[in-house]
Amino acid sequence: MKERGVLPGFGLTLGFTLFYLTLIVLIPLAATFYKTSALTWSEFWSATTAPRVMASYRLSFGASLVAALTNVVFGLLVAWVLIRYDFPGRRFVDMLVDLPFALPTAVAGITLTSLYSGNGWIGRFLEPLGIKAAFSPLGVVIALTFIGLPFVVRTVQPVLLEMDPEVEQAAASLGAGRWSIVTRIILPGIVPALLTGFTLAFARGLGEYGSIVFISGNMPMRTEITPLLIVTKLEQYDYAGATAIAVVMLVISFALLLAINLLQHWSRRRIGGAGIDGAGA
Amino acid sequence: MSIVVEQLVKSYDGHPVVNQVSLRVAEGELFVLLGPSGSGKSTVLRMIAGLTDIDSGRVLLHGRDVTGLPPQKRRVGFVFQHYALFRHMTVAGNIEFPLRIRKVPEADIRHRRDELLDLVGLVGFQGRYPQQLSGGQRQRVALARALAHQPDVLLLDEPFGALDAKIRGDLRRTVRDIQRELRIATIFVTHDQEEAFELADRLGVMNFGRLLEVGPPDELYLRPETEFVATFLGTANLMVGEVTPSGVRLGPVEFPLGNMKGAAGEGRRVQVLFRPEDVAVKDSQEALSWPLLGKAVVEESSFVGSYERLRLRLPPLLGTRPIAPPAPFGGDSIRIEASRSQHQSRRYPLHPGEAAWVGVRRVHALIHPGLSMLILTDGTPEAQAALDFGGQVAVRAHARVTLLAHGFGDDSAARQHLQEAKEAIGSGLASIVTRIAREGAPEAVAEEASREHFDLLVKGLPARGRPELLDRLLQTGQHNLLLVPKPRPVPARVLVCVSVGEPAKEDVLFAARLVRHLGAEATILTVLPEGRDAQDLEHARRFLTACMRTMWLLGVNAKTLVGGCGWRGWCGTW
Repeated sequence: MKERGVLPGFGLTLGFTLFYLTLIVLIPLAATFYKTSALTWSEFWSATTAPRVMASYRLSFGASLVAALTNVVFGLLVAWVLIRYDFPGRRFVDMLVDLPFALPTAVAGITLTSLYSGNGWIGRFLEPLGIKAAFSPLGVVIALTFIGLPFVVRTVQPVLLEMDPEVEQAAASLGAGRWSIVTRIILPGIVPALLTGFTLAFARGLGEYGSIVFISGNMPMRTEITPLLIVTKLEQYDYAGATAIAVVMLVISFALLLAINLLQHWSRRRIGGAGIDGAGA
Repeated sequence: MSIVVEQLVKSYDGHPVVNQVSLRVAEGELFVLLGPSGSGKSTVLRMIAGLTDIDSGRVLLHGRDVTGLPPQKRRVGFVFQHYALFRHMTVAGNIEFPLRIRKVPEADIRHRRDELLDLVGLVGFQGRYPQQLSGGQRQRVALARALAHQPDVLLLDEPFGALDAKIRGDLRRTVRDIQRELRIATIFVTHDQEEAFELADRLGVMNFGRLLEVGPPDELYLRPETEFVATFLGTANLMVGEVTPSGVRLGPVEFPLGNMKGAAGEGRRVQVLFRPEDVAVKDSQEALSWPLLGKAVVEESSFVGSYERLRLRLPPLLGTRPIAPPAPFGGDSIRIEASRSQHQSRRYPLHPGEAAWVGVRRVHALIHPGLSMLILTDGTPEAQAALDFGGQVAVRAHARVTLLAHGFGDDSAARQHLQEAKEAIGSGLASIVTRIAREGAPEAVAEEASREHFDLLVKGLPARGRPELLDRLLQTGQHNLLLVPKPRPVPARVLVCVSVGEPAKEDVLFAARLVRHLGAEATILTVLPEGRDAQDLEHARRFLTACMRTMWLLGVNAKTLVGGCGWRGWCGTW
């Protein structure tokens, strides 16, 4: 016997969910593939593997990866400080973390560009060191790091909060030093949440457009990201070429997300549900 | 001695949660710390393990002073109530953890792990993850893990608190067997007295941050020294009796008592304890071969497994006041708890409403007098302050309290007020009774004081100072008077003002009794009158030092201060 839920309406809500997903996600995705089918295989191949397009793939995926990894390290640190210590202004700092969510990406792009350009507040110190931050791939990484930070912090925070300090105390009384407690006890416990945060930040980085077009300078072969290339093609009325690149992005992103999800599933099962989905046990 | 704890103190926000706790645990001994929740027992354990900072005091493990050492270097095994297992490691991984940290060779690790799995009865479970185990199995893993690195001492913090009764029993035996086999000095913290009795070689009872009594379980059960231990361990019939030349008197009956011999003060009030199993119940006065308390009515009888529990109601006994079980509200009869074996109850069945003759086989007199307080209230805000503050002091001192309402227009308003006041003070008192007086405060106090002795009379400070009223209140009995000006928390520091001379000694003794219960520090101050010389100052200092020593002896941290006006009109303190 299946237990009756307290709230009725499973059929209605599931129906709505499917309809909604179809309308919002599936139809546009299908349209992308449909549009692409106007091309022959060789046209498709040449449109998606042109040197300029290949360079943009490298930048988009590479910068997203670097930015997401940076956020994994520093986002964890931020989350740790916010959860484990109480200091004046903690709530304010906690609020600041959400700012990249709320800020229009174009505003972020303009701000970062003016900060990191050769005569900006930060850029003027980097320039003499031979580091060109704005209008370079580094600029793209900086923008994506800014955009991705909340994803890591917000996924790791609840897991850290839920961690029982007694477990660390137990490790200490068993002889583990600080380093061992961090590497053997705390980190393994938050790996699934970190993976989730990484995935979200990475996916967000792949799709980011608004902030990057300002800071990257959009130089073909050097600082042109794939979404920008798609926009450029669209502006030249090359719809089929644009959607072809979009399909490649879509497939690679999907494959990557699937791989990370599988990894996550495996690690979460190993530690018995101590991931973002809560208590377990 | 394996574990020596000296004068441990821990305060949060100025309030001591652990107050001057000292204890010693011998080689291979299983020591149980028992107390209600919030009594500070877990904090003591955590301070021994180094998991909580120590404000003052020392911890020695096998003669090694570990007070300043981090938990990693203390060589203790600690078992937490909620297991604190590493959930991303298997059972084997958990148990091997302390060994891997110590870089023990792989072969030894495996050998030791198998040994421990065998010891706690979990062979075959090494590959499981903690969340695949039951609560009892998890705690077995935690126990094995705590023992893996062969610690000097084993500390268990309410380890079975989250488990059900049957599993608790099994685990208790496991812990006892392992402890015996390894002969490791162990401290076991619990609030469950059955567990404490079953496990303990020796037992320590804590309440409000203080370690009240230490001893073998049977000794503490049969011959407790304090009211709290008497009522906390098992069921107690506790009454206020009177000291006689050869023992104690409860109403008409005199009991000869060895431990009262030489105790000063014939006619002094003393608390007398007898346990339910010491109560004899017979159908006739002649059948009773024990001192007779009277003819009682059965209020309630219940079957509790191996024995039968009876609640009896006795008519009032002259000069006797019940403390526990508490007297019924509004009545003047005495309740008594009794227990009989199934065999006895079959031979002489008793039902509620029937009468029976009641005697007592043995009694025990408590050495430490509890504090008894009279709190006055007339429903005004000033009186509320007295109720709040007096109530807090009473709870900390585990005092006997009489709430006296006076100046109310009608009795029902007074009763309502007293009921609310009683609920606000809550539990934690030795006893609480309420009285309603129709006359003025001094007359009402005089009447209460004629019935029994109070150590402390608590009253709100009247809005306008009325010294003649306070004078009269003081003259109505032997009590001390505590005036509460406005609502305030229990003090962490107390100023004791004395004048140099004989009467001050009594004051210092009483102040020490009170301050010790509050867990506060004392400063003893005397003010020299004008025109005194260096010799007087020296004399005052010597007197205060003697006062301070007395306070230390009674367990109160005290400082001294001399104030006055010196030469050229300079005033201040030395």
